[in-house]
Amino acid sequence: MSRFAEPLARLIEELKKLPGIGSKSAQRLAFHILRSSNEDADALAIAVRDVKASLVLCSECNNITDVDPCVYCSSATRNLRQVCVVEEPTNIASIEKTKHFNGVYHVLHGTLSPLHGIGPEQLRISNLMRRVESNQVDEVIIATNPTVEGEATATYLSGRLRRPGLRVTRIAMGIPVGSDIEYADEITMLKAMQGRHDL
Amino acid sequence: MASKESDAIVLRTYPLRESDLLVTLFTRLEGKVRGVAKAAKRSKRRFGGALEPLTLVHAHYDVREGHELNRLDSCEVLESPLAQEVSYPRAVALGHVAEVLDELLPDHEANDAAFRLSLAVIAALRGPNIWMPITYFDLWMARLSGYLPDLSTCMVCDGPLNGSRAFFHALADGLMCPADKRLASSEISVASRGLAELMFRAPVDAFTGMPWASGQGADLRKFLIQTLQRHIEKKFVTAGMLEKIAG
Repeated sequence: MSRFAEPLARLIEELKKLPGIGSKSAQRLAFHILRSSNEDADALAIAVRDVKASLVLCSECNNITDVDPCVYCSSATRNLRQVCVVEEPTNIASIEKTKHFNGVYHVLHGTLSPLHGIGPEQLRISNLMRRVESNQVDEVIIATNPTVEGEATATYLSGRLRRPGLRVTRIAMGIPVGSDIEYADEITMLKAMQGRHDL
Repeated sequence: MASKESDAIVLRTYPLRESDLLVTLFTRLEGKVRGVAKAAKRSKRRFGGALEPLTLVHAHYDVREGHELNRLDSCEVLESPLAQEVSYPRAVALGHVAEVLDELLPDHEANDAAFRLSLAVIAALRGPNIWMPITYFDLWMARLSGYLPDLSTCMVCDGPLNGSRAFFHALADGLMCPADKRLASSEISVASRGLAELMFRAPVDAFTGMPWASGQGADLRKFLIQTLQRHIEKKFVTAGMLEKIAG
């Protein structure tokens, strides 16, 4: 028999499915919702429902958006001829924080991952290829993670994208700002040395 | 709690809780072990790129009595696959090595021969040809695991196969002569069986400069993968991807 009333037990079970939420955290969140006002609980329920009902993938770049094309692809001030390829929509926020990139994005929604059976067919690249093939792009910046999977994806994409007049670049890798070279591992240091630039 | 250290090959990582990683290591000291790398997802300071699959590391870990999972304390990178360009075929080949080791090796059982084989094959995979190292690896892993049948006699009639045609079947535990082959069997060429004999007698480095024709040893690889899959009763995810690359 459940220790809690059935609706509460059901809410705990649903919350436990969220990443990083264990039994204790789920119970804590469920009791917080139970004790909150009806308006707050309704607002949470509506927000959860709306996020599934109103969000779609941008037909140009695969970003998650409530308007198609998304705010970046439809912006009049952004440079549509410079495309930054990222693994996940959350990566866009990290690049936007720099305030130094005024191009548009393309979201792959994953990387090539042989151990998970994800090959080139599963990557969302058809709309990127379409943009490139219609000569709408001058530069593609590949900003996948510096992991084996991210590197394999970057190498694969650069091969697919290579054509006259298109610049394909990879984001730099190396020592994080504010850290100490003394503690850098060999591979990070190697990449930093390979990616050095003239002053 | 006992602290241990060993050279190890990182096989896989899985996300665990909010910011931890569950890491499967093939250690030289005690074979396959699993450990938790605390906060490895949130901070790269302690582990850096050391937890990428097929990285050779010197691992320090704490073994807690009565606990299946160790606590991974630190990993120093000795060799990283990221030091060379990672093409898609190379990523699939490295993934295949990691998957075969993870599926075939038992927990907490040192296997120095498999460890040395893995190091040699990972080094050979730095070159442009992935098919030779993969063939060599699958052949030796099948042999070291005790799953490789006799390649010189028919499993049905015990007749010698030397120099004659031989066949294999996904459900048969060995090679068959033309008279005893099953329906829907595949042929394994004399050349591929000869290649296997050569590979038993020489280290993987001996084959690195060898010209390797497209499709060479494909029948041997198919036979080896079928043999291994039959014994673990599971399909390798990377086997299908290797097939697609081979075209």
